[in-house]
Amino acid sequence: MRAIVKDGIGIFTPQGFLDGGNGESFLSLDDIKATSQLKVDMILVSLKKVIFFNKNGLDIFMKVFAKVRQANNITVGFCDYDKLKYDTIKVFYKDEVNFSLFKTKEIARLFSSSFKNQNKNVLLFSHDKSQRSAMAIELHDNGHNPIIAQSKEEFIEKSKNKDAYDFIIDNSFLGQMGQKIATRVTGNAIIYTISSFLDAQIVDKFNVEYHNNSLNVGFRLFIFDAFRVVSMNVHAMNFFSRLASSAAEYNASICFVGLSFDKTPNTFKENLEDSGILFYEKMDDILQNKELLKELGASSASNVKNKRVINKKIVSELPRFIDATVQTIEMMTNSKAVKRSAKVDNILIGDKKEKIASSIGYYGDLDGMLILIFPKEIAKKACELLVGEKTDDVELILDTLAELVNIIGGKIKTMLSDHDISVDITLPRTYHNVDSLLEVIKGRKGVQVDLAFDDDKFIFFLTR
Amino acid sequence: MITTKKINQYIERIPPAPKALKETLSFLNNGELTKASHVAQNDPALSRYLRELVNKPIYGFTNEISDISQIFGILGVSGSQQSVYNYMTTLLSPEKWVLFKLDARKFHELQARLSKNWETILKHLNIEDKDISTSISLLPASIIVTEALFCEKIDDVTLLRGVKKIDYNTILYRLSGIGIFDICEQISKKWEMSEKVSNIIQASSGTKPSTDENTNRLGKWMHLLLFYELSKPLFIEAGLNDFIDFHIEYVSDIYEEFATLMEIS
Repeated sequence: MRAIVKDGIGIFTPQGFLDGGNGESFLSLDDIKATSQLKVDMILVSLKKVIFFNKNGLDIFMKVFAKVRQANNITVGFCDYDKLKYDTIKVFYKDEVNFSLFKTKEIARLFSSSFKNQNKNVLLFSHDKSQRSAMAIELHDNGHNPIIAQSKEEFIEKSKNKDAYDFIIDNSFLGQMGQKIATRVTGNAIIYTISSFLDAQIVDKFNVEYHNNSLNVGFRLFIFDAFRVVSMNVHAMNFFSRLASSAAEYNASICFVGLSFDKTPNTFKENLEDSGILFYEKMDDILQNKELLKELGASSASNVKNKRVINKKIVSELPRFIDATVQTIEMMTNSKAVKRSAKVDNILIGDKKEKIASSIGYYGDLDGMLILIFPKEIAKKACELLVGEKTDDVELILDTLAELVNIIGGKIKTMLSDHDISVDITLPRTYHNVDSLLEVIKGRKGVQVDLAFDDDKFIFFLTR
Repeated sequence: MITTKKINQYIERIPPAPKALKETLSFLNNGELTKASHVAQNDPALSRYLRELVNKPIYGFTNEISDISQIFGILGVSGSQQSVYNYMTTLLSPEKWVLFKLDARKFHELQARLSKNWETILKHLNIEDKDISTSISLLPASIIVTEALFCEKIDDVTLLRGVKKIDYNTILYRLSGIGIFDICEQISKKWEMSEKVSNIIQASSGTKPSTDENTNRLGKWMHLLLFYELSKPLFIEAGLNDFIDFHIEYVSDIYEEFATLMEIS
């Protein structure tokens, strides 16, 4: 069974009856390994569509969970259940619940590193006092405002005022939380979340290849969210110094936010500052300061170290990039595409009005960036299949567009792999308008193919 | 990806019931088991299918049964009719399955399990109705339809389903306004099955509850039975567990009764 991965959470959704006889068929170690390779920080099994389960069935999941958690520091558990299912699981495992239970996917998301600093008001209750504290601490660390109900009565009373809270949490349980370095994108900044003690293992936990390729595709500001870091040793310090040196070659900035030096020598801070790392107390000190963002490079990502050109190898694979894009958009819109023109030059966008864009980077045997510029109407149509209805909600369209570009990236990866070319893809980015895209790709040459879907013009641009 | 035109072409290509099968069904309809078995045994493929079906472990016979009149005698009129329709459904199945990891043996196993358990359910509900008994044979046609329409689009569908939990029925409906069970209804019409059959099948999708209480109740039992079977390792590994959405809320009021009947603990 395949998991759906979104916002750093991989969710498996078995349907029907779950017992000792079919647990392994629903969730094999290979399934879960494949999911953990997608840089998730949580792997959950949704019980929404499970009408019956017994302990033997859950035990099989537990065994697989244990292996992946040990190997990858991932939070594991169940979500999407009602009170009956929650109580049943608690009865099965009594005091040995070493996995997490989240009543809904949305509640799980509050505890994920990909949904930080959203400042959500969260009412929470658990009969277990230590659980109440643990959840409150995690939520607070994740940038939300937890409000703890100390008793069931207080919880019921407060729950009545639904408008006061963005989320209400009960029947949930925090097991061992993962400690992966989660990655999320905010505008032109990439935010990495680090925690606990930083030592030589940081080299294994941090995806250097992904970081380097984010530099390649134009990201210039990298923020380490270090509120939960207790201390670091000299190996970790050296690692960050090296990272800062390589970033300097691209005029990129590396910042630490919320790092406390209570248990880390102050000399480390001086060394890190010497290598170019900047320190801030709060995330908003950077993200809410437009001048500073500009200075740090997050509002303009165009000053690439080497403006690289499209090479022969990419041009020879160009038909595969176009095919993957066209086939996917055709699939999503149920319409035919017509190729209008193709050229190698700087991107040329005639009418910038009512257009949105998305990009995705790829790296490996080939590297570069694929950019797609959609008229809003095509984007809306292409997203209908995923959303299930027509929508004018721009945020929802952009969010769905990111999923669509992810599908295209996945298809490119598969098509190239059929020809023994191995590439990985970055997180997709979306742009509300064409100008914000042009800031990123200013001065870059690439292959531009103008396509039309039912007479709506659509631009494909491949660059490095 | 899949257009209304393609769906219509698929429906047009569905063959009507072959003459020999029509004749067999006609005799069965009149309760003439002997005459029906004479016609049936002249169709080697049907005879082979019936032999294979009743000798599956779920039917629980210790000795092999090979004589067609004996098979019809054991199955009775409703059971025989159901088996002939099961055979007709297999005529739609592909030579080689691509989308689902199935083969003829596994597909026949699913048909046998559904049929036998449907018989148990109808007995429990005190229902003796040939059309209702037969309706279960059309349910696996939904799998064949899905295979036929999506087999050439596996990569696209895999990528799509990799980013969004979306079942084949929903994909088809959003693309064309036609659902998998609507196509099953068309098949039942081509095969001149009773309207009762297509109504139960539509209700069993879990997405189109019937306004008729009895039909809806049967649809619920059939929906739950389908997912009971699709939770077997053989069918999960074939990729069938989530080919359509399981609607728990739709079957919640009959679940306890179902669990007791099927001895689930």
